[in-house]
Amino acid sequence: MSKYIDMPISEINKLLKNKTIKPIDLVNECFSRIEKSDLNAFITLDKENAIKKAKELENLPVDNLLFGIPIALKDNIVTKNLKTTCASKMLEDFVPIYDSYVKELIDKNNMIVIGKTNMDEFAMGSSNQTSFFGPVKNPWNKSLVSGGSSGGSAACVSAHLVPFALGSDTGGSIRQPSAFCGTVGMKPTYGRVSRYGLIAFASSMDQIGPITKNVYENAVLLDAISGKDERDLTNIDKDKNFTSLIGSPVKGMKLAIPSFYISDVIDKEILNKFNEIKYMLIDMGIEIDIVDMKYLENAVSLYQIIALGEASSNLARFDGIKYGYSYKKAKNLEELYKKTRSLGFGDEVKRRIMVGSFLLSGKNKNEYYDKALMLRNAFNIEFDKVFKDYDLIIGPTTTTLPYEIGSSLNDPNKGFLDDILTNPVNMVGLPALSMPIGFSSNHLPIGMQIIGKKFDEKTIYKLASFIEEKLNLDLGGAYNE
Amino acid sequence: MSKYTATIGIEIHVELKTNSKVFSPSKNDYNSTANTNICEIDLGYPGVLPTLNKGVIMSALKACLGLNCNINKKMHFDRKNYFYPDLPKGYQITQARTPIGCDGYVLVDNKKIRIERIHIEEDTAKSLHANNKTYLNYNRAGVPLIEIVSCPDMHTKEEAMKYLERIRETLFYLGVSDCKIEEGSMRADVNVSISDNDTLGTRTEIKNIGSISNVGIAIDYEIKRQEQIIESGGIIEEETRKFDSATNTTVLMRKKETGNDYRYFPEPDIPYLEIFDDMISSVKESIVLLPDERRKIYLERNILPINVEKLINNKDLSDYLNNFIETDINFKIASNLLLTDILSYLNKNRLSIFDTKLSINKFNELVTLLSDGIITNKIFKDIMIDILESDSSVKDILKEKNISLETDTASLEEIIKKVLLDNEKSVNDYKAGKENALKFLMGMVMKEVKGSFNPKLVNETLIKMCKKM
Repeated sequence: MSKYIDMPISEINKLLKNKTIKPIDLVNECFSRIEKSDLNAFITLDKENAIKKAKELENLPVDNLLFGIPIALKDNIVTKNLKTTCASKMLEDFVPIYDSYVKELIDKNNMIVIGKTNMDEFAMGSSNQTSFFGPVKNPWNKSLVSGGSSGGSAACVSAHLVPFALGSDTGGSIRQPSAFCGTVGMKPTYGRVSRYGLIAFASSMDQIGPITKNVYENAVLLDAISGKDERDLTNIDKDKNFTSLIGSPVKGMKLAIPSFYISDVIDKEILNKFNEIKYMLIDMGIEIDIVDMKYLENAVSLYQIIALGEASSNLARFDGIKYGYSYKKAKNLEELYKKTRSLGFGDEVKRRIMVGSFLLSGKNKNEYYDKALMLRNAFNIEFDKVFKDYDLIIGPTTTTLPYEIGSSLNDPNKGFLDDILTNPVNMVGLPALSMPIGFSSNHLPIGMQIIGKKFDEKTIYKLASFIEEKLNLDLGGAYNE
Repeated sequence: MSKYTATIGIEIHVELKTNSKVFSPSKNDYNSTANTNICEIDLGYPGVLPTLNKGVIMSALKACLGLNCNINKKMHFDRKNYFYPDLPKGYQITQARTPIGCDGYVLVDNKKIRIERIHIEEDTAKSLHANNKTYLNYNRAGVPLIEIVSCPDMHTKEEAMKYLERIRETLFYLGVSDCKIEEGSMRADVNVSISDNDTLGTRTEIKNIGSISNVGIAIDYEIKRQEQIIESGGIIEEETRKFDSATNTTVLMRKKETGNDYRYFPEPDIPYLEIFDDMISSVKESIVLLPDERRKIYLERNILPINVEKLINNKDLSDYLNNFIETDINFKIASNLLLTDILSYLNKNRLSIFDTKLSINKFNELVTLLSDGIITNKIFKDIMIDILESDSSVKDILKEKNISLETDTASLEEIIKKVLLDNEKSVNDYKAGKENALKFLMGMVMKEVKGSFNPKLVNETLIKMCKKM
């Protein structure tokens, strides 16, 4: 059995260039691993087109590092003629008529789309348990959750089913499953990656980002999926060169740790591991201070108000009239709306739509939504203050280790509390990366988060790559042939 | 005279004439075959995002400046959330908090009718109900609209109708809309209340009235309906009504639910938009003379009021005439020429004045010949088609047609001589001091020359020859 997918892409690239292997070998390897896997990481596989594309690439020059590399896309990223479900009954059979911008860029770079990954329904959840297609299992322990909402993307990279995946992150949906599965996941600066073709959850926070096995490849993939897209007015194209600082000296860097990020809300094992890293960095001549940041403890409430308000509006289009699930026996319009939406959406999605609608209704809007927007500005100022003196902010990615599948289902707030360390950056649009920094006593991956200034992903990659090299973790454990 | 005073406010939706839609690149033309000018954005497909058509901003800006509004230099869009099949996304992108323009006005009989706000929004799809089914035409979804909201400054149906007419003609002159009210490119919602004291009464809203005259009829009906309710001891309820053009009445659509909740919030997909001063000044510069300015100029230059309005109603002719504002040609004669024979010619041939061969120089020549009495209206009528259809100058046409001008006095004298000989008695009467006799002789001569001589010249020659007899 070949093991090309386990190699760094620079080596795969050499093999493709000197014709030792062809793209089809990579595709076949992916499918043979996926077919043996029971992680439930994929909703839709596209074997036929992947093979077709691989064959086409045989006649083309290997002109970039990503040429011929298989990739999996989270199933809220729209793909023309390939089912895009958002893990919802509402879009169970939905086949889009257009491609998202990231898909166009993937095609342009001659990467090969393998399939669409499982996720929480409409990206609402942090354990992949709200998926209409069932939960994704954690590759490190299949009775545990993968995290979410990009659980399928993190799990399939962690288990070496594909080298690369894209996820989306509204409150932690790339970083949290990356921490749970031991992958490198980047939530880029808001506006960095075009959202055209990303099925919206909370438009002012959603970002697509790369999930990879290592830091360097993450930077390379981010480079490929970012760029100017006129169809997304919030898209900004600047300061790329994501790999440019990798390998440059870290001595003298200044890092901040918000005191909340090392408070007693964090699991002891996670905290201990994070502190080990902290001391390792101090030893390497990096300055680290603990800083007090206001409002961090309010992040969950703030996030709920903004995210759910926007979500209630974004999901209004699923009404059974134009596409997707439609209740066929409706006798009138009112019944069509009610039945389509109550049968088409799962419980978590309905709960969030109701809360969001409530928060925007009548007086509530002034009381909650407008106030949340003001606090969002205050949040921004708070982060700006820290970044005046520090290059990066670091902390653990999650408060807990991966938990049992089924254990959190009765607590609607659990999904939000999982994101308590990740969602502050979504509210202010900063880039943040989660990377594995070690394992718990029962050999579950632990993640650390690095938060950067807007459009300064390259400094995040610089530190992350340094830590990665220092730790030299064996992350192959999740892949058992 | 009723003891009640009516108070009227009007909301007007106007479709902007742009090449593409407001938030997508689809063609802005919903008269094409149904559902052909659409793309994934217009259909509200999952994952799509709005773009912003700069042309819409420029047109809306123009409308605001033309209607004397202040401009919101930093503005954003909002989502108005509600469910209806014609609303593809389940929300309409509009401007709730920061309308592009506010605090404008138009003049109606020298009274300011204030405009509270003008904002940009997208139109919905068009629903067609037939065979117990609803058909949706998404060509209209995303067509750019501006909504113009007046203050409740009107008190009679006449004021309301004039207000609409002023808005219509201004937007038409600005070139931002076709303003074809009958074809739906301009629609009015009218709010009416009545009161016999200083406190405003409860208002009702009459939706989507399709013509200016129907606005008048609807207001009339609504005032009477409300009077009757109050007189018979009833209470006016806040409600939405629609105008029924078959019966000329208004009928109840729905009672106003307390606080229609559209859950407005800022549209996160469109960043705040800044309008810079140079943008405003360049739009200002592009604005043509507006109807009220034209009225003022025309009246000052002695055009009859009735002709002033006719010119305003025919923008092409008014634009044509405005070429001569800097010259001293006689506007009264010029407007008469344009609005009578030339206008009928244009209408008959479905032409614009700009399609004819009537160059600016030629028209100048024509008006001068007429106002100096060198040619008569009769001569003009004879040669009008040649003037409009040939490249020759007026003088060359006259020459070609052998029409005598003042220089050809010999033939005139011959005609006069014959008339004088035939009417010796009148000649003698004139010599005896009877002025009426001259008028009679003049008439006889003019009949003979069939109006083809300059009457002034005829008169002078006649007097000279009478005296010689």
